[in-house]
Amino acid sequence: MTVLETIDLKMVYHVGKVDVGALRGATLQVESGEYVAIMGPSGCGKSTLLHIVGGMLKPTSGRVIIEGEDLTAMTDAERTDLRRRKIGFVFQRFNLFPTLTAEGNLKLAERIYAGKNNQDPARRRGVLRLLGLEDKMHHKPLELSGGEQQRVAIARAVINRPAILLADEPTGNLDTENSEIVLSMMRQLNKEFGQTIIMITHNGEAAARADRVIEMRDGHVVRSTVAADVARERSR
Amino acid sequence: MDSLIAANISQRPLRTAISIIGVALGVVLVTLFVGLARGMMRDAARRQSSVDAEIRFLPAGNVSLAGNPLMLSSRYADAILQGVQPTTEDPDIEPKPPIAGVSAASPVGEYVQGSVAGIGFEMVDGIDYSSFTNTTHLRLVEGHGLGDGITPGTEYEAIVDRYYADLGRDTDGKRVRIGSRITVLGHQFRVAAIYEPPVLARVKIPLRTMQQLLGGAENCTFVMVKCERPELADQVIAELQRYYPGNHVISTTEIPALYSQGLAPLEIFLDVVIGLSIVISVLVILLAMYTTIIERTREIGILKSLGASKRFIVMTIEKEAALISGMGVLFGFVAAMLGKLWLEANTRLLVDLEAKWLLIAALIGVLGGIIGAIYPAMRAANLDPVEAISYD
Repeated sequence: MTVLETIDLKMVYHVGKVDVGALRGATLQVESGEYVAIMGPSGCGKSTLLHIVGGMLKPTSGRVIIEGEDLTAMTDAERTDLRRRKIGFVFQRFNLFPTLTAEGNLKLAERIYAGKNNQDPARRRGVLRLLGLEDKMHHKPLELSGGEQQRVAIARAVINRPAILLADEPTGNLDTENSEIVLSMMRQLNKEFGQTIIMITHNGEAAARADRVIEMRDGHVVRSTVAADVARERSR
Repeated sequence: MDSLIAANISQRPLRTAISIIGVALGVVLVTLFVGLARGMMRDAARRQSSVDAEIRFLPAGNVSLAGNPLMLSSRYADAILQGVQPTTEDPDIEPKPPIAGVSAASPVGEYVQGSVAGIGFEMVDGIDYSSFTNTTHLRLVEGHGLGDGITPGTEYEAIVDRYYADLGRDTDGKRVRIGSRITVLGHQFRVAAIYEPPVLARVKIPLRTMQQLLGGAENCTFVMVKCERPELADQVIAELQRYYPGNHVISTTEIPALYSQGLAPLEIFLDVVIGLSIVISVLVILLAMYTTIIERTREIGILKSLGASKRFIVMTIEKEAALISGMGVLFGFVAAMLGKLWLEANTRLLVDLEAKWLLIAALIGVLGGIIGAIYPAMRAANLDPVEAISYD
């Protein structure tokens, strides 16, 4: 089942009197439970694509369909609601609330999703166990390592069972060891919970963990390859 | 969300403290100023109405604290009791009978002077001691009575009530006792007696002396009229109005209401204080929350990335503002209470912290905070999520 489809997506930024085309007709499909990596040089439109798919930006033209709902036909409030229901974000800079503990960050996401009285402690425990964070729940972000912070951010992103997890360079601020841990856990999330993941990365090794790698250039999707093939190509 | 609000408040202690103090300032302004005004007004009215005389006879014109205090001839007291007959000095005067049902009448001069403590004001009575005691329950608990102000040595004598004696200080800064010197109308008076209960002003001097010091000839401020029986009051009032038209004749039960009318300018002042309090609360919270929003732009971006609606963001900020305002209100109440205790211990001012005004002050503080947070909250809710989350 197709969970995400973008059709001829275009995005033009107006910078002063100059129009800059960040996306120039990006079209792609992602199936439910798929783990997709998006690669490409800086400025090729990866982040713009991610923000549009996450409902944080409205494209200039084209369509974005998430589980049958046309994001581009929605108002700002409707896009926010769809993001609440169906999207989880993970950022390069973790973006945790520094004043809240790890648990507080998770509870806040649950509260935004379900309100005060409809939270799911069992789901929270399951996610925390999977991400190895059970003993870190009462720590604030500054008391955690970068890898732990990113794992909390991932836990927060998936705590409400989003249809799609959007990760923007999730290992960009991590060392090799922590990158490895985070990537393994994302893979595990994908396998155990069937979590659909779309990950932007510059890191070929990180991309190799995905099922498929989409390459972008100049605002276009130029290639979609099974990740194992990409790894094989790189190893040659 | 509640933990986010609590965390934001505790993580920014200086901002929180300044905001709380700002709101508290508004609350203190309202509670203390209103409390002071009400307390003094109520106390004065209570002492005015707690005399034995049922009727007060006043000169024509506005009944207020302002203006020349000695505007009524003190001869009205004798006229009311004994009637008026033509004399050789004034053969053309229209004869008038004694007012039936009157048992005593006493002329009283009333003057408002700045408090010796330097804060607020206090009343001073000029009395004719012998007739005054016939119209009130005044009794001496220490010392001898007040002289007539004519007999040598009695001109600068004063009597004070027990409250004044307990809390007041003489010119040497010592507790007031018999023989102490106190300053009245810019002159030093010797305390000749202490009396109870509180009746009219807390300090009384001979009417004659007040007349000489104020240049009021043989005038007084009003005449207190005591009836033979309380039920005769209406009849006596009617007779007084008949024989002495053009003057004010009122029942002492009306005094508190008249005080309220006379203090209309004070009500305007209180309205200004309330308005200022609202402005202070709104501005303090607006500035505090606006600064917070700028500091927390990135966090607002995170909230948006999590799917938080505009309403959620507005409510988060409004709740934080309401919580800070609530703390400001509580702090303000504590400060007002301490202020009341200090004022009452160090001055002769009374502060009434009425429940109604505490509630109004609380509403002003909290609503002011909520209103002040509207703009920052709306601004936060309308931030572009991508720009906000990229904010450094």
